[in-house]
Amino acid sequence: MVAPTVLICDDAIFMRTMVSDILQQAGFEVVGEAETGAQAVERYKQLRPDLVTMDIVMPDMGGIDAVREITKFDPDAKVLMCSAMGQQALVVEAIQAGAKDFVVKPFQPSRVLEAVQRVLG
Amino acid sequence: MSLDPSRYAELFRTESREQLSAINRALLLLEQGGDAAEPISVLFRAMHTVKGMSATMGYHAVAEFAHELESVLDRVRRGDQLLAPDLMDALFASADALETAIDEGSEQAGQTPAMVAALQRLRDVAGGSSTSEFPGAPTKETGALVEVAVADPLDGPGVIVRVRQAADAMLPGVRAFMAVQRVRALGEVAAVNPSLDALQASAVPISFAMRVVTTASVDEIEHAVRSAGDVAFVEVDVSGRTRRESRSTIAVVAEGEEVTRASARSTRHVRIDLARLDALMNLIGELVITRGRLLQLTASNPDPALDESMQMAARLVSDLQTEIMTMRMVPVWQVFDRFPRLVRDSARALNKDVTFVVEGKEIELDRSLLDEIGEPIVHLLRNAIGHGIESPAERAAAGKPRAGRLVLSAARDRAAVLIRVSDDGRGIDRPRVLARARALGLVDEGTREVDDDALFRLIARPGLSTAEQVSDLSGRGVGIDAVQVKTRALGGSVELKTVAGEGTTITIRLPITLAIVRALLARSGTERYALPLTHVRETLEYDRDVVQHVKGKPVLVLRDEVLPLLDLRDVVRQRAAPFAGGPNREIVVIERGDRKSGLVVDELIGQQDIVVKQFDAARDGLALFSGATILADGAPALIMDVGSLFEGT
Repeated sequence: MVAPTVLICDDAIFMRTMVSDILQQAGFEVVGEAETGAQAVERYKQLRPDLVTMDIVMPDMGGIDAVREITKFDPDAKVLMCSAMGQQALVVEAIQAGAKDFVVKPFQPSRVLEAVQRVLG
Repeated sequence: MSLDPSRYAELFRTESREQLSAINRALLLLEQGGDAAEPISVLFRAMHTVKGMSATMGYHAVAEFAHELESVLDRVRRGDQLLAPDLMDALFASADALETAIDEGSEQAGQTPAMVAALQRLRDVAGGSSTSEFPGAPTKETGALVEVAVADPLDGPGVIVRVRQAADAMLPGVRAFMAVQRVRALGEVAAVNPSLDALQASAVPISFAMRVVTTASVDEIEHAVRSAGDVAFVEVDVSGRTRRESRSTIAVVAEGEEVTRASARSTRHVRIDLARLDALMNLIGELVITRGRLLQLTASNPDPALDESMQMAARLVSDLQTEIMTMRMVPVWQVFDRFPRLVRDSARALNKDVTFVVEGKEIELDRSLLDEIGEPIVHLLRNAIGHGIESPAERAAAGKPRAGRLVLSAARDRAAVLIRVSDDGRGIDRPRVLARARALGLVDEGTREVDDDALFRLIARPGLSTAEQVSDLSGRGVGIDAVQVKTRALGGSVELKTVAGEGTTITIRLPITLAIVRALLARSGTERYALPLTHVRETLEYDRDVVQHVKGKPVLVLRDEVLPLLDLRDVVRQRAAPFAGGPNREIVVIERGDRKSGLVVDELIGQQDIVVKQFDAARDGLALFSGATILADGAPALIMDVGSLFEGT
């Protein structure tokens, strides 16, 4: 079985590391990381990962615009939003933009994996 | 599976500090006026990131604090809150409180006194407590489960879908929205109760119902609802036919499944203790010395095979040395980034108006050099603000812009890095310095003029200060003395340029690395000396044509410049022979700041990497040497403090 690939987008190394650890332990191959929305779009086109985790608040094109761009490029893109408490409205916007699911910081690994499972399910 | 937060503590601190730098930068930009949109969004983002990270680490007090700040910033962003000066001050104080909290054990449960004070101030100026409540620590109380009466106002065609969310649903409003959205993919959602808007806004898990006109099967509809996540119960009512399902069992990756494929990705960074890099550097230093000896030995025992291996080994040592030095290089912004804040605070404390500009932030320096040079730069900046830049009124009276301009720049100059602190203030008051110097007997009674170098030597003396009022910021000239001593200890030099009424520029010239520097080896008499390339511009053969005499003193005419000439024999007091040429004599053109001069040596032996062994002689104002090194043949040689050679000319 080929490990599913994931692109991790967050402007904080801290968060990228944590998401990366959770997903690697679950058998994912982290094929790329992005620190800005613009990078996320570019890497997505280049890497075509099975899954994308996307922070909402990032410099140089936020996560929501990035989802919009990625979905325009690939309507089947599986993007999982990483949001924080109190971002209801933004998450709704992200879902409307094409994100498939979301998780809320602080991350609980089991919740992240549930969401991933739903997205890839 | 679980994650141990302590693994992330270091990462958290490092990254939080970076965010704090960004926060301070943005606050400064905001304060300067201009377009507030970008700095505000930077601030908001940085605060948001700190909040997310601290919440993840379980540092709830910090997270809560960041959340409050974020709320205030959000109000500013939306235009609901004015950016008044006292709000700026409160924000600066908050950034400080945040920094302290992050630095010193963030695990403590409560807020630090500084945080409490900062919050109080923030609330005072931002009018009442912030609007949005922080959701707080993920406590186990699962939030009230609001049972909305699933009355059926949903009369009409279609099936009724009833949903109850899991009690521990996160952002349940979004989940509810997603459930409706997923069902929409199967048909028309004719009605939702409560309304979609109300659902979306729900902060607690909720029950709701919708009427759907669809041809999809019950299974398809249930699956769609469940795919939205956090669904505890779903029921599809199709004309009396009901079907129930028990609690959802959302598939979770089974523990036993093959989840161990640790895909190694190598673009990550590894953090290394600086002490280990130092140890590595020392070892490389020894290796470089050993290589020198080996090369000499093989040269005297001609053996092609040995020679080839030796050359290979020598190259590998060079590569290794380059790699390690590169690992130690960091961009100067890592230290420079804290200066804008410092300048602001100093300027405010002294009621000065200062525009601060930083240039060349990307220039790289050896980590330990950068750490060491931070403090001298602070002295120079504070001196510039305290003594150089005039009060706004004084500047206006002198026909200058009210705001003084202070520039900190870094630039690469071959084997050296130049760090410059420049202000457009009043310049150093020469007559006053001279008067003090005469009073203290430091110069002759008759001295009426003093050039920049001599002036610098005077103000670098402890105790000679022209500050009329001693502030806690700039001390009494101790700063300049400290800058001088520290820079020389690092193998660098300091140069001063000052023009009355126009400003002062101080240039620090530093080697790029500390431990191993490239140097010219020169012989004078029987001794060999190392001249670090940091201060060497070029070399040329001693030739009667280029050496002339002006007022009885020898000078070097180089292109269009006339440079003073020194003889290394005089410098090291060998005075063995009169100033003259010789079969192998050469001139090394040395420089400091913008000044150059020629140093005549008996012979140039070559260029090589030398391992610097420091000693304390640099403390003595007249010291000629900054350290010693071991040459390839095992003999020691002194390293010239080239900068000091300018002091006699």
